Amino acid sequence: MKIVVAIKQVPERDAQVHIDAAGKWIEEADLQYALNESDAYALEEALQLKEQHGGKVIVVSAGPERVGTTLREALAKGADHAIQIDCDDLGARDALGVAKLLAAAIQPENPDLILTGLQSEDLGLGQTGVIVAELLGLPHATLILHVEKTETGLKVKRELEEGWFQTVELPTPAVLTIQSGGNKLRYATLMGIKRAKTKEVRGVTAAELAVDTAPVVVLEQVTLPQKQKSTQLLSGTAKETAAALVEKLKFEVHVL
Amino acid sequence: MSGILVVFEQHEGHISRIGWEALAAGQRLSAQLGLPVSAAVIGADTESLAAEIAARPLAKVLRVEHPLLAQYTADGFTLALQQLIESENPAYVIFPHTYQVRDHAPALAARLGQVLIGDVVAIGDGPVFTRQLLQGRLNGSYRHTGNGPCFVSVQAGAFRPEEQHSAATAAQIAVFTPTIDSAQIRTKPGEPFRGSAQTVDLSSAQLIVSVGRGIKEAENIPMVAELATALGAELAASRPICDAGWLPLERQVGSSGQTVSPKLYLAVGISGAIQHQVGMKGSQCVVAINKDPDAPIFEIADYGIVGDLFEVVPALTAAVKAAR
Amino acid sequence: MTLLTATLAEPQHFSLAEKLLFAVLAAASATAFGLRFGKILNKILKSKKDADFRLFPIGKRIREFAWEVLCQGKVIRERPLPGLAHAFVFWAFCAFALVTLNHCAAGLGIGFLDPAGRFGRFYFYFAAAFALACVVGILGLFIRRFFIRPKWLGAKLSYQSGVIALLIFVLMSTYLASFFVTDAAATRVLWWIHTLTLLIFLPLIPHTKHLHLILSPATVFLSRGGFSRIPPLAGDEDFGLVAGTDLTRLVSLQAYSCVECGRCTEHCPAASTGKLLNPKEIVLGLRGYLNDLGPASEEPLLGKYNAQEAVFQCTTCGACEFQCPVGIEHLPILVGLRRGAVNTGAWEDPHGSKLFLALERGSNALGISPSERDKFIQKQQLPLFDGTQEYCLWLGCMGGYDPKGREIVADLARVMNYLGASYGVLRKEKCTGDPVRRLGNDLLFQQLAEANLEAMEQNKVKKIVSICPHCVRTIQEDWKEYGTPPEVEHHSEFLARHLNRLPSFADPLAPLAGERDGASRESSLVTGHDFSRAEDAPSLAGALALAAGASNAPTPKREKIVFHDPCYLGRYRNVFDQPREVVALAGELVEAPRSHERSFCCGAGGGLAFLGEETGERVSHVRAAELAATGAGTIGTACPFCNTMFRDALAATGEDAPQLLDIAQLAARGLPENETAQVLSFPGLKIET
Repeated sequence: MKIVVAIKQVPERDAQVHIDAAGKWIEEADLQYALNESDAYALEEALQLKEQHGGKVIVVSAGPERVGTTLREALAKGADHAIQIDCDDLGARDALGVAKLLAAAIQPENPDLILTGLQSEDLGLGQTGVIVAELLGLPHATLILHVEKTETGLKVKRELEEGWFQTVELPTPAVLTIQSGGNKLRYATLMGIKRAKTKEVRGVTAAELAVDTAPVVVLEQVTLPQKQKSTQLLSGTAKETAAALVEKLKFEVHVL
Repeated sequence: MSGILVVFEQHEGHISRIGWEALAAGQRLSAQLGLPVSAAVIGADTESLAAEIAARPLAKVLRVEHPLLAQYTADGFTLALQQLIESENPAYVIFPHTYQVRDHAPALAARLGQVLIGDVVAIGDGPVFTRQLLQGRLNGSYRHTGNGPCFVSVQAGAFRPEEQHSAATAAQIAVFTPTIDSAQIRTKPGEPFRGSAQTVDLSSAQLIVSVGRGIKEAENIPMVAELATALGAELAASRPICDAGWLPLERQVGSSGQTVSPKLYLAVGISGAIQHQVGMKGSQCVVAINKDPDAPIFEIADYGIVGDLFEVVPALTAAVKAAR
Repeated sequence: MTLLTATLAEPQHFSLAEKLLFAVLAAASATAFGLRFGKILNKILKSKKDADFRLFPIGKRIREFAWEVLCQGKVIRERPLPGLAHAFVFWAFCAFALVTLNHCAAGLGIGFLDPAGRFGRFYFYFAAAFALACVVGILGLFIRRFFIRPKWLGAKLSYQSGVIALLIFVLMSTYLASFFVTDAAATRVLWWIHTLTLLIFLPLIPHTKHLHLILSPATVFLSRGGFSRIPPLAGDEDFGLVAGTDLTRLVSLQAYSCVECGRCTEHCPAASTGKLLNPKEIVLGLRGYLNDLGPASEEPLLGKYNAQEAVFQCTTCGACEFQCPVGIEHLPILVGLRRGAVNTGAWEDPHGSKLFLALERGSNALGISPSERDKFIQKQQLPLFDGTQEYCLWLGCMGGYDPKGREIVADLARVMNYLGASYGVLRKEKCTGDPVRRLGNDLLFQQLAEANLEAMEQNKVKKIVSICPHCVRTIQEDWKEYGTPPEVEHHSEFLARHLNRLPSFADPLAPLAGERDGASRESSLVTGHDFSRAEDAPSLAGALALAAGASNAPTPKREKIVFHDPCYLGRYRNVFDQPREVVALAGELVEAPRSHERSFCCGAGGGLAFLGEETGERVSHVRAAELAATGAGTIGTACPFCNTMFRDALAATGEDAPQLLDIAQLAARGLPENETAQVLSFPGLKIET
């Protein structure tokens, strides 16, 4: 199976949030970056499929030069080669624009399966995989926890709301967006990193991919969230706060 | 281009509650822009559903019907909505932000050269749509700048359906039959199934005590269960607790678990990440116990105790028992 | 005739036939020996060279050789009676060198020692004394192995040992007997018995564990040169001990030197709590591998010969390596086997993966957001390190995030404030990498060490003081592989240096630690806050003591405090006295049955604090029970991991469990309530508070 995994490098989860001078994004100077969590699960799913059925896993990512580090990590975990889309203005593109870049880079590879994470930890749009499927004219399914290869294509386990699940069958080639938690992630190993040194990272610029860039949706401004309602904080020792809360529950909330 | 189209979702023959919230959002937008609001409902047999929707103040209700739409598929729904939108030409299309919508709305928007503004929590003048970024630590203001319909999906609990009232006269109902060939539907969905046997229904519980990562170890959960029992409440948990297997999945509250709206939601050791908040924001009263005063849960709590849950919970259990 | 007048009877002459027979037999024996020994030597020499082995400085090697081999120091000290018995046997063998040589020479007609001559007579008596001691020793050891049967010698009886014991017995007794035999024929018979025994013994040496006779002096001499010294990986294809081709000469030499005494296993916390891990079996497993497959084999080391599960039960406490009398260094072997499993991804453990993923993405081993550490620093108002202070107070993962660790840091900071020490804490810290280093993840360790070394340089850190012996060890020794670490010490070493300025709970009129004569108490006037920077500042404790005496304050009762030596402070760093001096400030020091170098691990080391549930008894519970059984009201610790392990173990004990306090907390106890020092003056005084 030839599998392409689209991954995103995002600010690390507990990064300090300071809005930049322009008010359009956060200060990036002191940030550490890491592989997006659900993308890690997508990569893991791809590697497991490769281990079961043979084939290749190609990782692709768009962004500034620093995404190379995350691509190398993916190679160290077992991907075969990487495509780095050099793009310094990722933030100025909307989801359609980013998906166009990825689709253009992925299409020549003609993969059997394209995997992405469910959503990114920074923007959280959760759309890229679905739009890539639309652009490439491929069937897709989202919120996938488990992928099985069948005679006719794939059988996948999809998560539904409220603790329900559903199996979906679809032909390949297809696009799947992978939910976190479906597999146990593997750790990067020294052997993996050493082998990764010889694996190819092919660079391609956004300009070479020649997709149109005019966004239809624009992120105008970012702000820190305001507290929407006043919270009554009860203070004191454990005993005191417990007593105070019981009072409230009795006389204000009417549940005791 | 005219009008605001609100797309409803149905579940086992009933209108999903979140559809009413999408309608509330549509009506908010309508008040701002002076545009009429229509609704659409999709399926193979939508007569009674449409009638229910038509009781609300709306211009019209569109029944998008086709046998191939009996079960949800991304291909089917995208095709149907594409044709509806090309026919109706709305300026705005409002969806509830559900798993189903996340599965097809982005493709639909892309097909029409647009981008979905998803999981919106507020609509401001402009219109400007507010979304949460960085897992709730940042708010982003989005504007639609393209030519063509603006696609929006609204977060559960962001727009209160109570704000609506019934209309004096029922809205006009029309049937729209899209052209769909079975060859165009490429995915075959199976029957939904539960992970494990269901023994608890949190969605109807009036009192819920919910436990999160702050509990540290499985061995500490009985302490919280005792509080739940003392209160007469159901025990629930955030995703990490269920992922670790400390409580069954059916007790999970959050975007991938149950959505609850009890009278009292007591969050113990829960930070209040967005995925969890989404599941319990509809609660009438939220109480949070957490040692971190900056935990996001306090933003939405009515009452909060900043303290060590290992001390507060037993004290609370004792106080509750004494009060009963 | 009495022994003293007896002389060693030697056959006067041998016939040519006898000489020939002896020569042939001797040749056969020597050949049998040589073939087998040669094979083993070959395996050792064919193993990979140790890239980091340095023969010099040789003085240390010679000294250790003299103590451990010649004096049998470790052998006797750790197991006195059997050790002494063995020492007799060993010394007898040494003393017998000339005897044996002469014996064989005599068989060829060229004996050179004359039993009637002065030197010969003296020497033969000298050897006889040793022979006697040897007989006693070997009999004792035989009885111990075959009748008393201590469990760490293994469940199976070693007939090999029995045979060797018999041969040694025969050798010695035939020698002694020949003092009493005058009859020529009998003398000749004795000689032949002795000779045949010798010739049977010789080839048996390389076929049994008695190979240690030849190898272990070399093994002791050729040690790696440091306790638990983990060798750097050699090149891009080296991932640790994966297969036979990874075994180095030192490892092979050590594997063949094992005498199966079981001292390592006896002191192993895992082995004594019912786990699979048995350090002796690890070494013998390698020996079995080498015997069967040799050093060129690609077959995995973990599999048939040693279980992966066992290897990951090791806390790296070092009791095994410390105990080994023949110089086997278990820790580099265990870590090497772990490296082989982890660096190749062969180790699949959910907790291990979680630890590695947490450190891949974040800054600390606990997977907690670094903003939590920031909040702690702010709340405690700890000064930030800005490059100008003398010390960098290193919090570590436990000090920064664990509730107990934070208490220790807070108290240490109080003491340092009181002492007026110049220190600060770094704004950001990354884990030193100890758990991943001990678990064998070199990728992660390299990343952490390099990032940390760079941060040390950028922040201009010169001296570190840390509450955690694991951090201290990793910074001082393991970071060396990637650069030059700053100076680092454990807080017990810091506190001990300032002992005479720390107040104590001790009997106020008793001499205080660091004070020698009463003169120092009376000579100086106490003025103002800033006592502590000046070297000749008077002791506040002294002043308080005197004042207390003057005001008839009641003598505080001295409680008993049992001190637990952390593995990484004691065995790894040889720091035993300093923490005890601090403990003595706060109470009466009592020792656990196993203390100092024999301290029993708390169970957290080797990355095990981050792994899942243990099988068998919990190591921490065993040790906590041992400490509580001393009757002490307080357990004194000097490591946040020990502290956390015992906290959980004691929680299981219940109400009357002893208190658990770190030495920083003990030292802080004596500090006045508010941190600004009190102003005092002398006799005739009132104390202003």
